[in-house]
Amino acid sequence: MSHGAPAPGLNTGVTLPPLEAGPHQRRLDLIAIVATFGGLLFGYDTGVINGALEPMKADLGLNTVTEGLVTATLLLGAALGAVVGGRMNDAIGRKKTLTIVAVLFFVGTLGGVFAPNLMVMLPARVILGFAVGAASVTVPVYLAELAPTERRGTLSGRNELAIVVGQMLAFIINAIIANLWGHHEGVWRYMLAVAAVPAAALFVGMLRMPESPRWLISQGRHDDALDVLREVRSENRAKAEMAEVEQLAQEEAESNVGGWSDLAVPWIARIVMIGCALAAAQQLTGINSIMYYGTELLKDAGFSASAAIIANIANGVLAVAGSALCLFVMIDRMRRRDLIIRGFIATTTVHGLIVITALLMPASTSRAWVILVLCVTFVFFMQLALNVPVWVCLSELFPLRLRGFGMGLSIMVMWLVNAALTFAFPSIVAFAGLAGIFGLFFVVGLIAIAFLWKFLPNTSGRSLEQLEESFASGNFS
Amino acid sequence: MSVMVAVPDSAEGALALTSAIAEARLLGTDVLAVNLGLRPISPEHLMSGETRITILERTHHESHAEVVLHALAEHPETERLVIGVKRRSKVGKALIGSVSQTLLLEADVPILAVKLPH
Repeated sequence: MSHGAPAPGLNTGVTLPPLEAGPHQRRLDLIAIVATFGGLLFGYDTGVINGALEPMKADLGLNTVTEGLVTATLLLGAALGAVVGGRMNDAIGRKKTLTIVAVLFFVGTLGGVFAPNLMVMLPARVILGFAVGAASVTVPVYLAELAPTERRGTLSGRNELAIVVGQMLAFIINAIIANLWGHHEGVWRYMLAVAAVPAAALFVGMLRMPESPRWLISQGRHDDALDVLREVRSENRAKAEMAEVEQLAQEEAESNVGGWSDLAVPWIARIVMIGCALAAAQQLTGINSIMYYGTELLKDAGFSASAAIIANIANGVLAVAGSALCLFVMIDRMRRRDLIIRGFIATTTVHGLIVITALLMPASTSRAWVILVLCVTFVFFMQLALNVPVWVCLSELFPLRLRGFGMGLSIMVMWLVNAALTFAFPSIVAFAGLAGIFGLFFVVGLIAIAFLWKFLPNTSGRSLEQLEESFASGNFS
Repeated sequence: MSVMVAVPDSAEGALALTSAIAEARLLGTDVLAVNLGLRPISPEHLMSGETRITILERTHHESHAEVVLHALAEHPETERLVIGVKRRSKVGKALIGSVSQTLLLEADVPILAVKLPH
């Protein structure tokens, strides 16, 4: 759902004995499942507002501005959580960070569930957002650092999938709760409360999980690192992997050397500008407006409130379908640049069709259905071509010594653009209607296509060194 | 005794390195080259004849001026610092600051500032 960053696949050149089956394999699977709860929670907590907003509006007396505020405060918290979470990862380790994140998920959830008014709701949303942002930078790193090289790609992908599955679950559970207890006062509180269950599971699970061997090595704790590797690998493989982990730890230290003062070099400034623009363009497709306000949007399109919350499930299902197809089929089949630009052409075309439908068709059930079909088509293409491929492209775009800074800045831009758009969305819809907001997405999409066509280099099929060499000599194709 | 030189990834950086090698030859000493670029210093700039060049790579996140000041602190044998300077726009200065200005004001060793011909 366009929030996380998969860890780049690194080739260290260390030869390792093959993976063997054994009890350590089950241990590794369990670790992956527990850590993926972080992704599920991320998805659930960002998606749950979608169905909860409508009953909450009446209960807490929200207008279009405060409605935007309730949704967007989570994202401001997430921007903060992404920065602070990254520092916590390095300072206190991945395991402690994820345990604290689980507690914050729990506290933020309870704060939202029992909030009597906005004065409690908004801080609770910031805390929850902080947990979401910190999880987004910690879970992929933790998974990648524990996974054997051969399975690193699939495990990082699993986190992306967990996020969209979490959103889909939120949409489904919202629809069930709305149908069973829709007449109860404060039914949205039930919806928010469900998120406490995976938060508790994450907390209990993390207490039993090992620390990341790479972090232990970065702290000079080599014996502890070897102990962890023995738990999740066969004996001879564990020893062989120590060398690889040490090399990766060193490479990671090197990736954090660059910073603001490197932007004085024109080709570097240009790469960073392209990265930030790509992150912003991804958010300005409006994907998260659908993921947060889908139910509201479908009501505006012509569905009744009870039908809209059910129809919204289709957005969740197609997001999962698109992500899965991307991870298992598309990602390595097409040049990165082509996939991303075609993705923008597809989403922008659908935006255009939605504008035409909203303008030309009279308000009716059939118009509502046409908009629903277009909406899920957009979500599908977005998840297929513009979510994981954009993050993989960013991780390949920056030279090694600038990667930490470049990725950090792009992720920051992504959260802030997401927050600004999310805050403004209800007001823009109230002012200009469906045609207005999708007209805006359409125009921004055209600009993004032109910009990327001119500036986006292709990052697939070349080594990072080759890319760096070509950018430095002024060749950005 | 050493001549230290700040080498950013630019024409000024290459010029500073050449000047530092000439200066070291004059003083009969060696060169400490602080690499401020994101890539290794290109070997063609490292042709130095007899003069020995030690390259100091950045190891963690710092601004360029801090990197050079810390290198100076770690190498008290340095007796000269060579930097390449160029005109910077006000906006550029506000955004990224001026490395040369910071070094001219903060460094405790004499500085040789060189610039490209107009």
